[in-house]
Amino acid sequence: MRETILQGLEQAYGNFVHMVAEFLPHFLVMLIIIAVGLLVAFLFKYILRAVLQLTKLDRVSEEAGASRVLRMAHLPAMSEVLSRSLFWVTWFGFILVGLSVLGVASLQEQISRLLQFLPEVIVAILILFLGIAIANFLSRAALLAAVNAGYSSARIVSWAIRFVIWILAVTMTLEELGLARQTVIAAFSIVFGATMLGLAIAFGLGGQDLARRFLEKHLEGPKTGKDEEPQPL
Amino acid sequence: MAEETFLSDDLLRQLVSVGEVDLLVGISSHDAVKTVGQVLRAIEQSFQQHFVRQRVVIVLLDGGEEREDTVIETIPETSEEKKVRVPGITSLRTIHRVTANFSTPPTAGIALRTILAVADLLRARACAVVSSSSSNLTADAIGNLLRPVYQEKFDFVAPLYTRHKYQGLLMRNLLYPVSRAVFGCGIREVFPAEWGFSGRLATYCLNTNVWHEEAIRAQPEAWMAITANCTDYRCCQVFLGEKSPPRKGSPGTDIVEVLRQTVGTLFWCIETQQQLWMDRDKLQPVPTFGPAYQLTSEPTDMDRHRIFEMFRSGVTDLEPILSSILDPETHAEIKRMVSLEEGKFRFKSDLWVRTLYDFAASYHHAVLNRDHIVQALAPLYRGMTHSFLVEHADSSPAEIEAANEMLCSEFEIQKPYLREKWKAKVEVKS
Repeated sequence: MRETILQGLEQAYGNFVHMVAEFLPHFLVMLIIIAVGLLVAFLFKYILRAVLQLTKLDRVSEEAGASRVLRMAHLPAMSEVLSRSLFWVTWFGFILVGLSVLGVASLQEQISRLLQFLPEVIVAILILFLGIAIANFLSRAALLAAVNAGYSSARIVSWAIRFVIWILAVTMTLEELGLARQTVIAAFSIVFGATMLGLAIAFGLGGQDLARRFLEKHLEGPKTGKDEEPQPL
Repeated sequence: MAEETFLSDDLLRQLVSVGEVDLLVGISSHDAVKTVGQVLRAIEQSFQQHFVRQRVVIVLLDGGEEREDTVIETIPETSEEKKVRVPGITSLRTIHRVTANFSTPPTAGIALRTILAVADLLRARACAVVSSSSSNLTADAIGNLLRPVYQEKFDFVAPLYTRHKYQGLLMRNLLYPVSRAVFGCGIREVFPAEWGFSGRLATYCLNTNVWHEEAIRAQPEAWMAITANCTDYRCCQVFLGEKSPPRKGSPGTDIVEVLRQTVGTLFWCIETQQQLWMDRDKLQPVPTFGPAYQLTSEPTDMDRHRIFEMFRSGVTDLEPILSSILDPETHAEIKRMVSLEEGKFRFKSDLWVRTLYDFAASYHHAVLNRDHIVQALAPLYRGMTHSFLVEHADSSPAEIEAANEMLCSEFEIQKPYLREKWKAKVEVKS
């Protein structure tokens, strides 16, 4: 009896030692991979930051209006966001590779799924960023054109354009991520259709006078008989 | 030679048959088909009256479907033109006419580059570019553009015009004061419709690597004027008489389009020619032949209220854009002005100067898309216009000239402000 217990304990101890002996090298390899990953990620971050500063990306981002959106979200400058993102993506990739070295079957499956999903996440972020930049640029262009033409609802026009492009960008992002595809497309169609119908009805019913004034102004010229503005040159 | 690469074979063939010339006048026919015949006759009369012995050529740039021969044939000579013609005087030389045909209307930059290349190839000593829409242009005026170059050895001849006191406010309140303060350029019309230049300057400009730039494609004349004035070429101004009004519907009547073409180009010149102005404070004097200014004041009825309303709504609606462009203090002052009643509103000259310098610095730092920066100036320009119309409703030409001189001085005094803003780092908050 006593011998059986001792034998059991000995076997358990042997198994434990064997497991530790087998696990420890893997664990050490994982730590080394993560540490190397950290160094590589830092290196990538500094290289990318230097390249982006050379290419004056922050200026382009300011011009496109993307920096304004980042500031609104309390995020740093564009070059900093991208270099930090590269750091985390790189290090995260190394962490996943390191974890896969441990050889835990269920973990490996999850890691491989995550790795497959990563490119889609990056593309989705790019789509969202481009959408925001385009929305800002076009809404600003529309605002300037409407203000300089003397339209009274310039801000509404600008916001409508920004809103529609944002919806489009968010829909495309969710579509890329594969999240509730059918629901997203249906929701987009409903929101977009409703917005357009609403605008059409609003202009049709509420804008009769505006349309009449617009046509009168362009077909008949100013009623006051006054010159609108002096010749600039 | 570089120019041989872009001149067409047909044009080169015509140039070979012309040979070297003394005088050259370039004109684009596509932008004003109705008046081009009239302007061409004025050029020919000028050659017949003022340059009888010189070898001359007219370079016609045609980009439309209607060819110049058709255009000229279809426009009969008016009785006024018949009166102007001096009987018995005719050129001793053939008045050559060459046509550069383009499939589409050439931009102002392409048109000027072609004229410069032709001038360089034909070794022209004195050249002029005239606008086909300048229906008021006379033979004497064209002679006045060519003579200072041909006889007095000037390199750039800018025009001066008779204008109504409310015409040309962009020139008077923005383009001239800014170019004078920044570059020390004493040329009043930095965006002339017609101007003269020497073959020497033509060759220099032709060989400068700027022709691919968007600003030069759209409006190259300011760059040429500023380059001539700042690089020791001899410049002068001549009085040409009444300026032809822009045609209805042309870009010259649309303030935003005019701002994009002129202020955009001026800001581009400031941006790309820093070495010419950063350490320069001296005004380059420009000799003037004829009166320096001539203003008329027939009664006109401007819609001041609408101009003020467009200023007010523009400043309010563009607040987020203006806050990115203007210094916070300048922006706050402009917002305070918006709340004033129309009768009490005045755009003070020091504020106008700071506003423009903020715009120029923001253009340099590209805080927004550069075209958007220039467009955002339109409401503020309208505010300045309203202020001018109210302040100078009863002013005499001399009083307006004195006010313009004070505005120019204000721009010169505040130039250190531009330098400071120019060198400041763009704040990208993290």
